[in-house]
Amino acid sequence: MSVVGTLFEVTVTGIGLGAIYALVAIGFSLIYKVTGVLNFAQGQLALLGAYLVVVLSTPLLVALELPASAAIVATLVFGLLLGVFLERVVFRHFIGEPVLSVIIVTLALGGIITGMVRFLIGPQYRAYPEAIRPDWSLPLPFGVDLSASFTLGVALSLVVVVALMLFFRYTVIGSILRAGSSDQQAAMVLGVSIERTILLSWALSIAITSIGGLLFAMSAGGAGFTIEAVGVLIFAAVVFGGLDSIPGAFIGSIVVGLIQQLGAFYAEPVIGPGVGQVLPMVFLLVVILVKPYGLFGTERIERL
Amino acid sequence: MPCGEYFTSYDDRMGLIRWRTERVAFLLALPIPFLIPFVLGGGAVSMLTRIFVFVIAVLGLNVILGYAGEIVLAQGAFMAIGAYSSTRIVAELGAGLIPGMLVGGLLTATIAVIFGLPSWKVKGFYIAISTLALQFIALWFFQNSELAFIHGGSQQNVPREVGLIGDFATVSTATEQYFLILTVTVIFVLATLNLSRTGIARVFRGIHENDLSSAVLGINVFKNKLLAYAIGGFMIGVAGSLYSIYIGFVDPGSYTIELTLEHYVMLLLGGMGRVWGAIIGVAAVTIAQDEIRTLLREYAADATTLEPVFFGVLIIVVLAVEPKGIIAGLGQIKDYLRKWPYAY
Repeated sequence: MSVVGTLFEVTVTGIGLGAIYALVAIGFSLIYKVTGVLNFAQGQLALLGAYLVVVLSTPLLVALELPASAAIVATLVFGLLLGVFLERVVFRHFIGEPVLSVIIVTLALGGIITGMVRFLIGPQYRAYPEAIRPDWSLPLPFGVDLSASFTLGVALSLVVVVALMLFFRYTVIGSILRAGSSDQQAAMVLGVSIERTILLSWALSIAITSIGGLLFAMSAGGAGFTIEAVGVLIFAAVVFGGLDSIPGAFIGSIVVGLIQQLGAFYAEPVIGPGVGQVLPMVFLLVVILVKPYGLFGTERIERL
Repeated sequence: MPCGEYFTSYDDRMGLIRWRTERVAFLLALPIPFLIPFVLGGGAVSMLTRIFVFVIAVLGLNVILGYAGEIVLAQGAFMAIGAYSSTRIVAELGAGLIPGMLVGGLLTATIAVIFGLPSWKVKGFYIAISTLALQFIALWFFQNSELAFIHGGSQQNVPREVGLIGDFATVSTATEQYFLILTVTVIFVLATLNLSRTGIARVFRGIHENDLSSAVLGINVFKNKLLAYAIGGFMIGVAGSLYSIYIGFVDPGSYTIELTLEHYVMLLLGGMGRVWGAIIGVAAVTIAQDEIRTLLREYAADATTLEPVFFGVLIIVVLAVEPKGIIAGLGQIKDYLRKWPYAY
């Protein structure tokens, strides 16, 4: 394969990976935008989504062998319900608490989820059922073949991202969410129930995150504990794009995916394995030092 | 007990031991740490050593988080830096423990200051994110065997017999380790207690409460934040090097994000910003962790994975019920008892 072909392949996989990260990142910035909670448990929530498909569609843990499509829908519904549950039981008590409390609560939540999954399913890698692991591949120019699960994952995530953007732009619920995030007081005056908005955004955020985890697992052929790392990688994406911007989260994720793939391909032979995952972290530090509010984030101005 | 507490001079008010009860308790408690190795068994001594090591680390976190209010999520990384650098000094140079601890602490302080630089522009969760990035970079760095020329190999054994300086005064048995770590802990506890009585920590607290007001009052916020990073980082680094001696080897697996979370549980459960709170928190969590581990192991072999679940639930409940920790709860009980049975 030519040099250009290799570069093209790496770029394509990078963009694809970025599109998958974008879902988790959008789940993050949605919550941050509406409630101001910085969710450090995104990676673990994605992990939960990825493993749930395995649990539902194979005779692991519960003898409930749903067809693949039904399992995916069930994961989505579970994500919605989990969002409602977490908001009602945990995060409602921490509205107006200091940043530290909220950060520690989400970190603890991540620990709880990992511990439970490890206990119930075990630390092994679990392959996805055949139905969501087709064996065709997509031929691209320069003689590049993109594997089916990866193509599917990328295509689905692009569809979800576009659908979300349209949802926020053109539907009534979407504009209510935007209203609640831009000014809670004004939205309340105009008759928007902030309580319901927060509930809805938690449900949506966790459902989107679960789908992100599911697609990530699909592109890898199965669920493993490496998905947890997504939770940290998306910080690079959302900080670069601006913490409270959804298009920013998308663009940031693509950039992070590209950095990761290019770094993994070109820097790994020189520096050592795992550089791909570390380069986005270095990028994150540079962004925080140089342009902390990112591309589209609103700059906070403090007065005494 | 007197119906009120009165101080006749400022020195009395600021003393470390202020009341007669405290003086008696101090004199009674003084010999206990020195008698423990001769009374209790090896398991208890080992657990106490562990508690002392973590007390130093949590006190370092207390300086950064409790005094200066910077949310640093790189406890594991800082301890790893201290552990690896002191292991190189001890095992390869053979310079002894005290130079190892000093170099480990200073190197950690340097790294902490470098990663505190973003606090020039941002605060709050941006610091949390950037130090979380440090945690992942550090873990990758120490796992990467191709960079062994810097960290000296990702898994190493720490020699069993180490001299304090060079080959002088070797420390090898568990009891000797206990006394060494006890001494270092006492030094750091006194240092932190005194730090909180002096101007430095008062400036830190001012920045914690309101950084804009502190800047208006003429405090150099950025410089003082970096100072907090340096002091805290030094303590955490020393704790890391002592931890490597305590467990006898260094391995990236002992310095993960779970360690950070554990230390946060300890500090928040005990009481943030209070030295005695940190000590109580570390002791309570370590003992509870030990009990729970035995309990879970009886239940099933792989049930120990449920340990983080327990800590997670514990910290969420603590933050929801009493965010100021055990020490604030004890203060409330004391106030209640003093006025009992008439609440006026």
